[in-house]
Amino acid sequence: MIHYWLEFEESIGKVWDKYLNKKVDKFHEEQRVYFSDISKSLNLFHRLMGGEKGKDLQITDKRYIQTNRTLLEKISFLGQEFYLTWQDEESLYLPASFAYFPTKEKNEMLYYWLVAMATQVKDNDFKQNQLATDSLTSRYSGFNTFYEYATTYLIQRYKQLSFVKSLDENLINNYPNPLWIYDSPITLYKANNSEDEPQEPTREESKDKTDELQMKKQTKQIDDKHETDGFLAFLPESLMSIFEQVNVDRCEDDSFDEDALYHAEDLDEITIGQKQANLSARIKMDLELLPDTTVIYPLGKGHYIDEWDYLKSDYLVKYVRILPQIMTNVVPIELPLRLKKTVRKIQNELDLLQLNRIKNDHLPYGDEINMDSWIEYCSHQNKSMHHQNFYTTFEKKTRDMSTLILADISLSTEGGITQEVRIIDVIKDSLMVFSEALEKLQDKFAIYTFSSLQNKKVYFNIIKNFKEPYSNLIRGRVEAIKPQYYTRMGSAIRESTKILDKQQSSNKLLLIISDGKPNDEDRYDGRYGIEDTKKALEEAKRKGITPFCITVDMDAKEYLGYLFGRDGYAVVRDGQKLPKVLTDVYINLTK
Amino acid sequence: MSKNYYLPQSNEIELFEAAVEMNLPILIKGPTGCGKTRFIESMGEKLGRDVYTVVCHDDLSAADLVGRHLINEEGTYWQDGPLTKAVRNGGICYIDEIIEARKDTTVVLHSLADYRRVLPIDRTGETIEAHPDFMLVVSYNPGYQNVLKGMKPSTKQRFISLSFDYPKPEIEKEVLIKESGIDETTAQKLVDIASEIRQLDDTDIQEAVSTRLLIYAGKLIVKGFDPYQACIHSIVESLSDEKEVLEVLEKLIALHFEKRV
Repeated sequence: MIHYWLEFEESIGKVWDKYLNKKVDKFHEEQRVYFSDISKSLNLFHRLMGGEKGKDLQITDKRYIQTNRTLLEKISFLGQEFYLTWQDEESLYLPASFAYFPTKEKNEMLYYWLVAMATQVKDNDFKQNQLATDSLTSRYSGFNTFYEYATTYLIQRYKQLSFVKSLDENLINNYPNPLWIYDSPITLYKANNSEDEPQEPTREESKDKTDELQMKKQTKQIDDKHETDGFLAFLPESLMSIFEQVNVDRCEDDSFDEDALYHAEDLDEITIGQKQANLSARIKMDLELLPDTTVIYPLGKGHYIDEWDYLKSDYLVKYVRILPQIMTNVVPIELPLRLKKTVRKIQNELDLLQLNRIKNDHLPYGDEINMDSWIEYCSHQNKSMHHQNFYTTFEKKTRDMSTLILADISLSTEGGITQEVRIIDVIKDSLMVFSEALEKLQDKFAIYTFSSLQNKKVYFNIIKNFKEPYSNLIRGRVEAIKPQYYTRMGSAIRESTKILDKQQSSNKLLLIISDGKPNDEDRYDGRYGIEDTKKALEEAKRKGITPFCITVDMDAKEYLGYLFGRDGYAVVRDGQKLPKVLTDVYINLTK
Repeated sequence: MSKNYYLPQSNEIELFEAAVEMNLPILIKGPTGCGKTRFIESMGEKLGRDVYTVVCHDDLSAADLVGRHLINEEGTYWQDGPLTKAVRNGGICYIDEIIEARKDTTVVLHSLADYRRVLPIDRTGETIEAHPDFMLVVSYNPGYQNVLKGMKPSTKQRFISLSFDYPKPEIEKEVLIKESGIDETTAQKLVDIASEIRQLDDTDIQEAVSTRLLIYAGKLIVKGFDPYQACIHSIVESLSDEKEVLEVLEKLIALHFEKRV
């Protein structure tokens, strides 16, 4: 009953809402441009304009500003809430969509304009905006034309904006200017010292919904105030659920004093809960009903290896236990449809490269006569002493290369790149696409994944070893990968080094795919983990193995340079590009 | 007037002259199209020495550098390679993109690149002492990371190193005006575009726009080509094949040179 009443109330709200919005909206709905559609381009443009590389582009929340409004605007709440562009140290926040102008092109241009503005403006105040506008319009004739057009058009529609042209400082707070960069709402909020609780608006913009759900909330300002806004119309307990009980044995926890410090460091990065933005947000439950038949089968009882303790400047002998595992009962699968296109594209590129033509000289028989060696023979006084190997062949498949791919499948890879795509999904896709490429090149390769639970449990999963042929079964194993536990990277590298060392090839590549720093539940975190990983990499290099790391970690640069050296890693900003980038990197590395 | 126009970026000319005086070999690092080859050519001209250029590739053998036997109606005869020619007659031997050659090939340079200054030729049994005017210059582009390639440290450590980068905006502008003949405002815009594109790093595009490409764009514009189109064809399309990158770069060009509809 309650349920029906709720729905009824909401639909009445929607109708009323639509009516009011039509009356007062000055927007061009058909020409609306969405941030999500052009966010990749905007990010690139931001870097082009010299914006700080670590800065993110995000969607802003609305803010409430008192303006002089018409009666209708007041009733409909329009004219009070604004989506303004603002920035802080970490991110630039842009409105989810624009429809101010009558063409898509101009609305899109507004985004580019704001991104360029943000790279110029430092203090987000009137003066800075003014200076930035001047510098952009004088440097770029394209922006100059746009700015002239935009200001004229906006002033026509919003009379309050006349200060943009007249530059009257007294009027600037009359109405927000969509062409400017504003300060963070927190600062403004404090400045206004407004006690008013902003009312939850009843507007509905259907296409914006997904965007708004993702948008960054101002945790400090709003802080999940509306805890009681929504309620569940059913009892969650009535849902069948299975809980897994895990007995955690903490007796073995290392009790080093540093632990406390390491964990304190981490506390800074704890994120505060996000609130759902929309009234009509729905509860989504993911019930995994398919029984999971995959069994993880341990290969032996494991073996112990050393770890580097930088505090002691010595190895902790046989400190870490490696537990090799393999998945059984895996369902073999074909290459998923969604990857077919990428794979075909990469294979076409490989065809062009002709990587596998390697010339072999001085052979007693072959494809072509090598004139040089024949002439050399002729020039010799004593011909009987000289060999008669005059042939050259262009042999295929002689790339003397072994590659071990080591993928981090710690729990952090559960994290999302977008709402639908998790890092682990991208890693899985990359492994599949990459394997196809290596198969095409006929290079020898193996795939392992790792995760860890303190030093006694470092799980080392075999997806494909060097001997196994690449097959549907391997794809099945890749598909069945599940994120778990932590990242004891040093140990995994040592184990991989051991395997690569047994390979006969003259070139050995250890390709590490990761999403962040080495860390584990014990003191394997911060500097300890990094130093151990560095040591493990040095050991690998000494054995003639070239390590290379590909990471999806955005702010990874510093420690990566320290670990892998300036040319030893690549950061993939757009995680979804990983499958393609991985292959590109490999080809570049080995061409 | 000299044939080769070169505008120094910093102290490279003095350093080069000092190295010439002391008989030291030089290694030049720098991205593509930043003026490495042009610098060597202009120095050759300035010092009155011939420049023998060898561009390396992965099939380059030691014979391609040193020389080989050839054949004529009388039998075989020895033909000097570019390196041997420079060693015998004096001159600058410029080995471009040395990183592309196989490591074993470049080992022939070792005895030339240290105090010995001799070139032994196995096939003829000869050991040539370098002419007093002989100078060895090698170059490579450090932008390409590669597991299988790279200079052997033993090769690298025989050279005085000069690191080149794209010229500073003022210098680049002057170069553009001189080389392509465009007016100052257009040159300034091209330099602005370049400095913006150079903000991107190797995860976005493989390598940033070179001075060479800017000169191409300038030449097209002087020829009467629409500036927007000239930039698209000479700059944007050469930098990437990715649709998204191309779109943004096109947008950037359109901000500087408005697109004619």
